[in-house]
Amino acid sequence: MAVVEQTQPVAAPSAKQKQVGQSYWSLVWWKFKRNRTAVIGGIILVTFYLSFVFIPEFISPYALENTSDYAEAGPTRIHFVDAEGEFHARPFVYGMEQKVDFVTRSRTYTEDTTRMYPIQFFVRGDPYKLFGLIPTDLHLYGVDQKSNPEAIVLLMGSDALGRDWFTRIMYGGRLSLTIGLIGQILTIVFGLSLGVISGFYGGAVDQVIQRTTEFLNAFPQIPLFMALAAAIPTFWSPLAVFFILSIILSFVGWGGLARQVRGLILSLREREYVLAAKSAGASDGRIMFRHLMPGTMSHVIVIATLAIPGMILAETALSWLGLGLRPPLTSWGVLLFDAATVRAIHNTPWELWTVPFIIVTVLAYNMLGDGLRDALDPYGTR
Amino acid sequence: MNAPLNEPLIEVKDLRVEFDVRDGIVKAVDGLNLTIYRGKTLGVIGESGCGKSMTARAILNMIPKPGKITQGKIIYHRRMQNNGKSQLDDIVELTELDPDGKVIREIRGGEIGMIFQEPMSSLTPVYTAGIHINEAVSLHHLTPVRKVGDQIAEQVMAHRTVTKEEAREIAIKMLRQVGIPKPDQRVDSYPHQLSGGQRQRVMIAIALSCEPAMLIADEPTTALDVSIEAGILDIMRELQESVNMAIMFITHNLGVIASMAEEIVVMYMGKAVEQATVVELFKNPKHPYTQALLRSIPHLHEKKKGERLASISGMTPDPFNLPTGCVFHPRCPMFMPGKCDKIVPKWTKVDEEHWVSCLLYEEV
Repeated sequence: MAVVEQTQPVAAPSAKQKQVGQSYWSLVWWKFKRNRTAVIGGIILVTFYLSFVFIPEFISPYALENTSDYAEAGPTRIHFVDAEGEFHARPFVYGMEQKVDFVTRSRTYTEDTTRMYPIQFFVRGDPYKLFGLIPTDLHLYGVDQKSNPEAIVLLMGSDALGRDWFTRIMYGGRLSLTIGLIGQILTIVFGLSLGVISGFYGGAVDQVIQRTTEFLNAFPQIPLFMALAAAIPTFWSPLAVFFILSIILSFVGWGGLARQVRGLILSLREREYVLAAKSAGASDGRIMFRHLMPGTMSHVIVIATLAIPGMILAETALSWLGLGLRPPLTSWGVLLFDAATVRAIHNTPWELWTVPFIIVTVLAYNMLGDGLRDALDPYGTR
Repeated sequence: MNAPLNEPLIEVKDLRVEFDVRDGIVKAVDGLNLTIYRGKTLGVIGESGCGKSMTARAILNMIPKPGKITQGKIIYHRRMQNNGKSQLDDIVELTELDPDGKVIREIRGGEIGMIFQEPMSSLTPVYTAGIHINEAVSLHHLTPVRKVGDQIAEQVMAHRTVTKEEAREIAIKMLRQVGIPKPDQRVDSYPHQLSGGQRQRVMIAIALSCEPAMLIADEPTTALDVSIEAGILDIMRELQESVNMAIMFITHNLGVIASMAEEIVVMYMGKAVEQATVVELFKNPKHPYTQALLRSIPHLHEKKKGERLASISGMTPDPFNLPTGCVFHPRCPMFMPGKCDKIVPKWTKVDEEHWVSCLLYEEV
């Protein structure tokens, strides 16, 4: 033994040991990393969730309720070269002149090249509380409102009340992205536990659960959504509406998951380790949730990831129909609802900026889900 | 070990297990009697499908659906430690317990451990050895620890209450006890990282983690190769001595049973046909079935050239349509027409500690 230790480099045994001890999840991670599409999807989602859900106050230049005088203004042009043809390293915007046509009541904006406002990063602006705790007024970008109160930078234009549309998309993303996630978590909780119970016990329990899922699946979804959403009292607080809506979304979604989990459990419960656990004195609950459920997790993770965009789209669709979230809440569906008139499409087409955000989110989830599906089967080849 | 000799632990009396399936009723176990004594090993042999495993399952009240215990009793002489001061003796009728109830779950794993034929699939794939051992220990509120250690941890947890570190220590200790090399590393191994022999050792460690009064070993070495089998058997014997545990050893390997058991029960079609001490049974088999079984063991030196290995003629009968009288009579070389096909043989004592169920030894 001593001879071996002397002749071998110290690092070699530990490296070998590491390889031998490679756990399932490290294999999954290794395979996931090699899938470029999935990694990109993952990065997009992490960025979106971080910036939209946690720090939209910081990313956006204005507070959500900040209504400026510049109603229905198009996206502000950002310049590097001024009217005299001089190049500026720091980008800037011009001041805007507003003209109202009193016949058509439409507003037109022209740039006033005599007023130049540099765009600054980490600029002081509307006060807010970071994470709802730390009071600050720092914003990622913007023009200094203290020295130039009339200056404004609208990356994606503004709405009829003069609110910055980019800011609204940020805040809207917070609700839309969380509702998808919360709804999906609830779906997993219902679908997984009911599926496990259904598959493990079989018999009458199985019948009841399976017929219930069939009943739910047989319902036309949109009318069911509408009926449930219409039942939400209008006087409820927006937050209550938000949670009820995520419950409604998961209520419709759990059936499919429960079926798939049941199928997996039906095969897993015949494994010898279930018998072994039982003979060790484990209760039914313990066998179901400690021994059987983990075996379905890789499948459930993939299904759930691929189903989240469905949730987000369902929220968007419901809110667009006016049945989901309502102003003063801001979600992507609410924003689409604003943009969904011929007048809005004609006068303020920049309000459709919401759509690319939705599409990118949904695509990113699909990319991530596909990558996870491949990665969670690290021994498979593709 | 100071206990009087032959103190009964489990008494199976006239046990019948029936399966109500589409084509009729199958009697998997039919009127079986046997007694397992504290600290002793009882071997159960018989060919596939003769009810060996069902008997074991019945003892733990774990008959799978649609099976039912329709008759008979299984009496368990329970001995509980009362805070280490005194012993409480109790008699439990296992077949009358609620199969999902608290009492039977305490007994399973805690007082009667079981290991299975298939070590490859008997460990939950997502838990390490240590977690398994600790689960076992925690399930039984013992002072535990075991990952193959995780699977073992499962048992330890079920029977004493312990901290994580303690649990880990117990798991490592148990793994060392069953002869797993580098137990402090193996405790964090997942089942797929262990070999078949190691997994079976982990299973044994799980079963032993709560120091059960009895271990049911259902063909524990069938899936392992011979050298590993010998190691496993050695470990079982050693551990049995150290904790005075009874073993019910189920196998169809006559060589294994000869080296493990003190007493042997031979089963055929759900019935016990012969019971004797190991030496008596191998030297002086009474029942024609036992005799045929022993003849079918290959002998290295006695074989003549060109001689074929003996086998039992015929096939096991259709379980839905069992022969009348003695169930073995269609295959029996000593068949007595008019008797064996009419009269059901009784459990007869032919010698001290030698019982047989055959009309040859009965006066009819």
